[in-house]
Amino acid sequence: MTELKKKEKIGTPDTADRQSGAVMVVGGGIAGIQSSLDLADSGFKVYLLERTPAIGGTMAQLDKTFPTNDCAMCVISPKLVGSGRHLNIDLITNAELMGIEGDAGNFTVKVKRHPRYVDSEKCTGCGACVQNCPVSRIIYAVELDEVELERKDLDIVMPLLEDSAGTRGSLMPVLQAIDRHYGYLPKDVIRFISGKLDVSISEIYNIATFYNSFSLVPKGRHRISICMGTTCYVKGAEKIMQKLCRDLGTEPGGTTEDLRFSVEAARCIGCCSLAPAIMVNDRVYGRVKLSDLSGILKEYE
Amino acid sequence: MIGSYTRLLDGLQETGLSSLYPDRFRISVGMATCGLATGAMGVFQRLKEELDRTGFDAVLSRTGCLGFCQREPVVDLYVPGGPRLTYVEMTPEKAAGFIDVLSRGGIPVEDLLCVHQSETLLGDTVREYGTKGMDQLSGVPLYTEVPFFSKQSKIALRNCGIIDPVSIEEYVARSGYRALHDVLLEKTPEELIREVKESGLRGRGGGGFPTGLKWEYTRRTEADERYIVCNADEGDPGAYMDRSVLEGDPHSVIEGMILGGFAMGASTGFVYVRTEYPLAIQRMEEAIAQAGKNGFLGDDIFGSGFSFDIEIRQGSGAFVCGEETSLMHSIEGVSPEPRNRPPFPSESGLWEKPTNINNVETWANIPAIIQKGSGWFSSIGTGKSKGTKVFSLVGTVRNTGLVEVPMGITLREIIFDIGGGIPEDREFKAVQTGGPSGGCIPASLLDLPVDYERLAEAGSIMGSGGMVVMDQSSCVVDIARYFLEFTNDESCGKCTSCRDGSELMLEILTRITRGNGKSEDIDFLEELGVAITDASQCGLGQTLANPVLSTIRYFREEYEAHIERAVCPAHACKALVTYRVDAGRCTGCTLCARNCPSGAVRGKLKEAHTIDQGNCTKCGLCFDVCNFNAIVVE
Repeated sequence: MTELKKKEKIGTPDTADRQSGAVMVVGGGIAGIQSSLDLADSGFKVYLLERTPAIGGTMAQLDKTFPTNDCAMCVISPKLVGSGRHLNIDLITNAELMGIEGDAGNFTVKVKRHPRYVDSEKCTGCGACVQNCPVSRIIYAVELDEVELERKDLDIVMPLLEDSAGTRGSLMPVLQAIDRHYGYLPKDVIRFISGKLDVSISEIYNIATFYNSFSLVPKGRHRISICMGTTCYVKGAEKIMQKLCRDLGTEPGGTTEDLRFSVEAARCIGCCSLAPAIMVNDRVYGRVKLSDLSGILKEYE
Repeated sequence: MIGSYTRLLDGLQETGLSSLYPDRFRISVGMATCGLATGAMGVFQRLKEELDRTGFDAVLSRTGCLGFCQREPVVDLYVPGGPRLTYVEMTPEKAAGFIDVLSRGGIPVEDLLCVHQSETLLGDTVREYGTKGMDQLSGVPLYTEVPFFSKQSKIALRNCGIIDPVSIEEYVARSGYRALHDVLLEKTPEELIREVKESGLRGRGGGGFPTGLKWEYTRRTEADERYIVCNADEGDPGAYMDRSVLEGDPHSVIEGMILGGFAMGASTGFVYVRTEYPLAIQRMEEAIAQAGKNGFLGDDIFGSGFSFDIEIRQGSGAFVCGEETSLMHSIEGVSPEPRNRPPFPSESGLWEKPTNINNVETWANIPAIIQKGSGWFSSIGTGKSKGTKVFSLVGTVRNTGLVEVPMGITLREIIFDIGGGIPEDREFKAVQTGGPSGGCIPASLLDLPVDYERLAEAGSIMGSGGMVVMDQSSCVVDIARYFLEFTNDESCGKCTSCRDGSELMLEILTRITRGNGKSEDIDFLEELGVAITDASQCGLGQTLANPVLSTIRYFREEYEAHIERAVCPAHACKALVTYRVDAGRCTGCTLCARNCPSGAVRGKLKEAHTIDQGNCTKCGLCFDVCNFNAIVVE
């Protein structure tokens, strides 16, 4: 990354068999921060190593956390401050682990610290440089790598982005088209369009998880939606779901191992007069009986 | 210049009339989603093959849904110089026989539901049919004599099932785009808004807000740009009239939107359709393209200087997106959580411009109102609820389908006269209206006239028009639990009252349906329901308690039976029933034993079986597969 390489030795032991009493935690996400705090409170000297310029990790980008829907920032920010000022914790950010030698309890690590071009001892975080930067190259949290897509993905994604260029609110149509093509929202593609559309990953994640029809994991070649509308429910849609899942060896919302089918509950496919109804891909089957199911499945390979 | 547009419409009308009423036979197949789900595609293809094979000269076309979904696939036959006939429950095999009869000079009478002697459009007869072939049809009921149709009066569904949805010519042939032409050239936006206001039309999506008033507010807000939106995110389970209108008559919605755009000074309209309706999206796209090609959309429509375009946006499966502020966020591509009102969309909506949102059915009503006048429209219906409403009559009722009835008709007329009552003459228990925001109405209120106010008084709502009929085999506690499961899952999580309140309600209801209810649960549910209603920001939270509150109000004893005696009177709650084999009826066919997923059914061939209660998961499969009614639920 730069020629300014600086290697540090941390936790030098006196003799080979003595345990050092210092700990290195690699990764400054919420797990790393919490571990560091717990260790530091127990009296260990902790070196918390983080690759990005700041600790916090993914949780700092989230709005809420599962399953309690707690506000993510409210949970993490006291810990960020706590680890920053804990006397037993040394933060080593913007740095990478290059190698480890020694045994458990007594080892030496090599760390490569990337340059910040800012003297972190003197920086007060006032933000004036950001406002005054003539080329606006200073950003706080950076996506580490420029995402590069393979040729075949680019051929699909670029036309979509070009089609939607200039239209307002283009994110949804682009996500829908990606979902239609891949059957789910692949991570790299999402990171790529995040840069192109200038929408943050967390915002896309928010939208992708809000809607039922987006998936972040690969889906089967054929999507079976079992209508769980009121009428279908009254007419026994649950039994259809049970039988289908048992026959396919999966569960509601799941995908078969051979990626042939995904089974999901649909809200209502608007075929209430023919309840119970199911939809496979875009085709609707009405007045479905349990005995019809195997015949329907056979139509799809 | 003005004359040239009249000529354009006249030309389209002529082409449309000659394809609707050709000088040879016209066979049209109902190919909306419900038709396709019952095999209309197979029927259509078979008809085509047979026509090709026999060389019989007939026009084959596709239409939307006539509304009688119970009897799909529906096929219409127009006899040149004679009547129009409606056939039901067609199959590819029957289709072959159908063409066979025709090619031998006869008129098929098998599966013939009714004869249309004339055609009506918005209350007026538009075409008297000839009498050719009537001699072969004695004893066949007339359209107006079929109970399912006789009490209906169609405004929003005026063209559904009659015209080819993506033929602009046939839409014009049934007076389409005439209202638009007249308004753009002769009226001012203010006159148009006054007309809609005087008609008394109220929002058909559920809220019931006066449409004209909403239009006026949007028009009055100063802005350089305004938007209109057609809400086709029909999320209420049990309602599908919007799908049917989009699939069967997309041009009526387009015309309504152009009129709305003119009235409010908007130049862009969005149609927000659920992704679950692929066919509706496709038909709408085709219809928009056709309207554009004929100059009804785009710049300078009819030379009036007014320009308007429509874009389609798709939802992606989030119930809350049917709520207007949430829907607008979704179109903008940001997180689709609802927001507080005011400001109302008419002041600050899409991209902070004044925006008017109406439901599909509301838009489809607009051209009809302009064409026939507000006086005609307001003469239909009750005091504060004018016109007609489309209901999807579904559940345990003989004739399921879409019915459009004048406001003020009683539930009894809808369910028993039009719907034909409950199958196998079982007892009617309740009708659920308004989806997850509505409530259950018991048998004692069957004579309730259906309009916005009366339904609200009964603890339910009109909603988008879902009407799910239930008999004694449905448990209202289980239904309430089902809806809470739905709303709990669909709650966006923004308001604590809705997010956590629905969770708590669901927990209590689940406990009750498992027989673990506590005596104070009912009172607590009522208290909680009121609190959630008061403290939530959007319609989802404000109404999610309705299914619970209304069922407690009318079926309190059923809740009590679950709580105090751990009994489900309807035998629907899994945890509270047992499955048993009636040894007298069991023939020992082993069908149930082979189907039982948990191996709980034991018995030898030709001997009465037994169910091991310890292994039984109460899935009910044995009950469903038994051909001898030998499985008893207790």
